Amino acid sequence: MIDASDLALLSSGLRSAMETEAPDGLDAALVELGWHDLLEEAPDEAVALVFGLLGETGAHAPVLNDVLLHSMKRPLGGVVALAESGLAFGRPCVASDGLDPALGLCRVEWEPLGAEALAAGRRALGFQLVGAARAALELAREHALARTQFGRPVASFQAVRHRLAETLVALEAAEAALGHASDPMTAKLGKALAGRAGLTASRHCQQVLAGIGFTAEHRFHRFARRILILDDLLGSASALTAEIGGDLRAAGRAPRLVDL
Amino acid sequence: MRVDEFRTGLRAWLDEHDLRPVHDGGLDGELAQLSRVRRALFEAGWMRRGWPEHAGGLGGPVILRAVLGEEVMARNLADPGLYTLIEVLAPTLIRYGSPDAVAFVPTLLAGEETWCQGFSEPGAGSDLAALSTRAVRDGDAWVIEGQKVWTSLAQFAERCVLLARTGGPGHRGISAFLMDMDSPGITVRPIKTMHGRDEFAEVFLDGVRVPAARMLGAEGQGWEIAMSILPDERSSCFWQRITYLYTRLDRLLAEAPAASERQIGEAYLDLHAVRSRSRLTQHRRDRGETLGAETSIDKVLLATAEQCLYDTAREALPGVVEYGSSSWQEEYLYSRAATIYGGTAEIQRNIIAKRLLSLGDE
Repeated sequence: MIDASDLALLSSGLRSAMETEAPDGLDAALVELGWHDLLEEAPDEAVALVFGLLGETGAHAPVLNDVLLHSMKRPLGGVVALAESGLAFGRPCVASDGLDPALGLCRVEWEPLGAEALAAGRRALGFQLVGAARAALELAREHALARTQFGRPVASFQAVRHRLAETLVALEAAEAALGHASDPMTAKLGKALAGRAGLTASRHCQQVLAGIGFTAEHRFHRFARRILILDDLLGSASALTAEIGGDLRAAGRAPRLVDL
Repeated sequence: MRVDEFRTGLRAWLDEHDLRPVHDGGLDGELAQLSRVRRALFEAGWMRRGWPEHAGGLGGPVILRAVLGEEVMARNLADPGLYTLIEVLAPTLIRYGSPDAVAFVPTLLAGEETWCQGFSEPGAGSDLAALSTRAVRDGDAWVIEGQKVWTSLAQFAERCVLLARTGGPGHRGISAFLMDMDSPGITVRPIKTMHGRDEFAEVFLDGVRVPAARMLGAEGQGWEIAMSILPDERSSCFWQRITYLYTRLDRLLAEAPAASERQIGEAYLDLHAVRSRSRLTQHRRDRGETLGAETSIDKVLLATAEQCLYDTAREALPGVVEYGSSSWQEEYLYSRAATIYGGTAEIQRNIIAKRLLSLGDE
């Protein structure tokens, strides 16, 4: 357990590194800030904090590798394939093809991930998705309050308000589920809800941001791109939902997974 | 007594005491079953945990009420809607009632009486503060004139927690009363509902005299009293409903082994979402935090999950809603109300937008 004041200090240190460092520098800066020790000592809190902040700030460092390596009990600092295609977060991080070049995706040799590593990776990506969804919501919220049409802020129109409310509902649900997502089934559920929240946020926030959100001059597009990739990695909301349905059909019962 | 100890003890007790329903599923039978379950649980002490001692309880954390509800739902011992009604009635009495009024609470917990809640009116649904039923002081009593609607179980109830206007317009002019339903001047007309279970009623109030000592709280405090129900409704009540919905998904899995994986997954995902969220809410309440606008999120998630589940059942069991006479039909139809009762889905989103997202006024 990290105590509250240490957590706040750590959080502001991490945030400022993410807001200022270039992708390659950030990987090293996180190690400087104690990422490896954190992961060893308090992995649940460390992952929730670091990945939530990566999502919110839109920064990238290839630290998902460390989460997987940690759960495989291997030395940190390497690269692990995330899919059969060999897709991985490269180290060092070099701009790549695809929808979100800043992620520095590359191809390495594939080795099937164990259930524990998969769960840890899904949980981390889930927190990052929720962070990105929160950032998109904040951008849309600010725009809705600032933008005036028909002589009033667009935030005063109920159709706009309800889209943003719907977004908050989705991301709060995902965050609640991620709070208890340490085993394979709950991690699957957490990632599916987080993917869903990300896609919901993208759809509603883009609509509320309207014209400005479609430009590459506004920051929104970065989050929209990232959300699509984060949703896809280690199982999209849609694929995991079907998988979960299959698990339930096989069990013949709906497990009650978080108890009072 | 903490959660785990309570749950283990309760489960063992329920294993030994068979309280499974033996009725035809009609409303009279459901109510008799509910009384039976309550009486047995009250006498054994389970129903008294989480309720204060001066109201006939045994004290202990409120969260135990949610655990009890979960076990009752898991065994299908009582109708979930009827079972949870005490959560929106008894706490009001306990917080605001005179000692005489509080003395009625054990009759409710023990299943000796049925109560109803006279809030909504034909002209005051979502806009509850617009209610127009009037209470006028006459000596040592208040004289009530007006009409209530959507009053669950009014035709069976011995008592009613009633809101009426004692002052001017708006929130401040409202007061709350505990009214005896056998008072002269009360006419109850059950409402035929689309799902075929006539648990709601209209209540006509024509010069009904309620003793002044039966006012709950002070004059003009009715709105505060009505709003104070929210934490109870949004915690224990919701948890019970959620756990009930899990039993329906179990039933669906048993009856439709070839249902679409994607649809089953969606239904389960929605349930897991509201369960995870509600768990946090129960624990926040247990720690003594004040629950407020953020519980509108729980409400939206619950209504969404409920409707998704029954939509899935309709697709996975073709014709069961349209042509059969199984309980799926009634339950499916009732699920359509999930986005209407207890504050519509639109009102919840308005609250989220204004209070949680600070989007200003409409």
